[in-house]
Amino acid sequence: MNAKLQSQLQAQIKKLDSISSAPAILMPLLDMLRLPSDKIRLEKVVELVSYDGAIAAQCLRLANSPLFGRCQTETVRSAVMALGLERVRSMLFGLCVNRVIPQDKWVIEPDAFWRHSLGCALVTQRMAKKIEYPEPEKAYLAGLLHDLGFLVNSFLYTEDFRECLRRAAEQHAPLHVIEEQVLGFSHCETGQMLCEHWGLSKELVDAARCHHDVSLLPTAGPVACLVHLSDLLCRVRYLGYGYDEIMGVDLGGDAAWQTLIRTYPALENMDLVRFTLDIDGAMDQIVATVDSVFGAKRIAAPATT
Amino acid sequence: MAIEIAKVKPAVTPDSNPGDPAFLKIRDLIYRISGIYHAEEKLYLLISRCARRMDALRVASPSEYLEHLTTRGNRDAELRLLLNEITIGETYMFRHPAQLEALRNLILPQILQVKGLISLKRLRFWCAGCSTGEEPHTLAMFLLEEKDKLLAGWTFEILATDLNDNSLEAARAGIYGEYALRSTSDAMRRKYFKDVGDKKLQANDLLKTQIRFDRINLRDDSKMLFQKGMDVIFCCNVLIYFDLASKRRVVQHFYSNLLPGGYFFMGSAESLFQVDDSFRLVHFPGTTAYWKPTGAPAGGGKK
Repeated sequence: MNAKLQSQLQAQIKKLDSISSAPAILMPLLDMLRLPSDKIRLEKVVELVSYDGAIAAQCLRLANSPLFGRCQTETVRSAVMALGLERVRSMLFGLCVNRVIPQDKWVIEPDAFWRHSLGCALVTQRMAKKIEYPEPEKAYLAGLLHDLGFLVNSFLYTEDFRECLRRAAEQHAPLHVIEEQVLGFSHCETGQMLCEHWGLSKELVDAARCHHDVSLLPTAGPVACLVHLSDLLCRVRYLGYGYDEIMGVDLGGDAAWQTLIRTYPALENMDLVRFTLDIDGAMDQIVATVDSVFGAKRIAAPATT
Repeated sequence: MAIEIAKVKPAVTPDSNPGDPAFLKIRDLIYRISGIYHAEEKLYLLISRCARRMDALRVASPSEYLEHLTTRGNRDAELRLLLNEITIGETYMFRHPAQLEALRNLILPQILQVKGLISLKRLRFWCAGCSTGEEPHTLAMFLLEEKDKLLAGWTFEILATDLNDNSLEAARAGIYGEYALRSTSDAMRRKYFKDVGDKKLQANDLLKTQIRFDRINLRDDSKMLFQKGMDVIFCCNVLIYFDLASKRRVVQHFYSNLLPGGYFFMGSAESLFQVDDSFRLVHFPGTTAYWKPTGAPAGGGKK
């Protein structure tokens, strides 16, 4: 990407917050995302969740889904307490992001986008736990948000991006490769810019930037490597972008795997076939959760206390 | 493809409480012994299979059944009976479309490209442990359909082997009922089968002549050494009955039987983890396969 295009994109992304339909709680939520997890306050989280009835309802549905342990709770407060502040913070952010783009601007099917994102979040987190990475919640959030650039491209380049998706589906090719051909940049760059603009942590910015190629950033940390592997794994288990890709992946031979294994030798003990079957087992739940939380169905706003 | 993990609804018996930790122990035991893994969400499959054996043995609790599998004198026999239940012959043609898609889209193009350079335009496939022949017949139909497309100018041969003479006889006869043909389209039935009455179809000569059946014991080293020059080997849900040492030996044979760049398919719940590290595991959409490296990266295509 040349410097001129880059500065143009950056300028447009800066305006995104004001021209899009971002929920009012997005900015305070971003402030909270920058806090270390031990500084998050329960009251503040409950207040944010309760502010927007639709978001509060979605948050409860997530909390009650089998994926997140079926809390069987009816109030925001007890859901937040049951799920933990960090998990709620991640969920809330995902729900906010969903609203940044008006419905008519979605190019990728929202269901496909969230299945892939939520799938990646869970796989990244599970893998993080397997290798004993100390911050699995951060890994979860990075997985959830790694494709934010798709939303930027949908919003700013709706027709061109629609063409990218059409060609990618026709050729069964990876979307980022087609984006490069058609737009001259991919969701990796725009995702990175949005993450930077929102002041998200370096790990999240890096994961957005190099989740298709970890060699782009010599300093890419374990989170970016985990997101890269999870993204590949989701795409070969029918949690891709809503079309069939033709791909064969040697995860164990991947540069990200090799980088991880140097710092996290526990990766050696991971039976990838078994891990893949575990993901398949969770897939029905991912699909059901996305359908109930991001699907068209709406339910009444819940009680807040 | 030969035998597939049976998919049935959970048997609800008063004592088979799915949350019983004994079932998790049985799950881990089956994984350790056979390499077959049941994810948490698929545990009900295992539970229903255990329930059948528990009924037969008149065992009331999962923990008591676990004892039968681990500490009682007949544990080896019981383990085998349970494995039989788990892999009970639910097998039909075109059972794994994802494997065929991987062959069509990536594996065969990759092999053709490498082999095309050395002008030997012949492919060799081996279905090891072919049981009653559904897998080699599926493969033969798939390859015949590609004959004028992907495989134009190429020839292929399919070797299908089993240890069991009865299975081999049935495979050679190639007579199948509705169950085995449930995923075979009408067009394929018309093209490759003839009606032999009694609601059964028999593979026609065109299909039959594509496959060479033979009796091979995978434990027979001298015979295994001779099956060289393979491009793709299938051995699905067969090695689960082997102990680790024999499993290793068979897999090493397969590795040396394959040409560099060749692929090895196992059952979808089987893993070579801690059995063999010469093969590379490759994920394709909806399936996995093991690849014998050539030096070039596996899978191909961009990520």
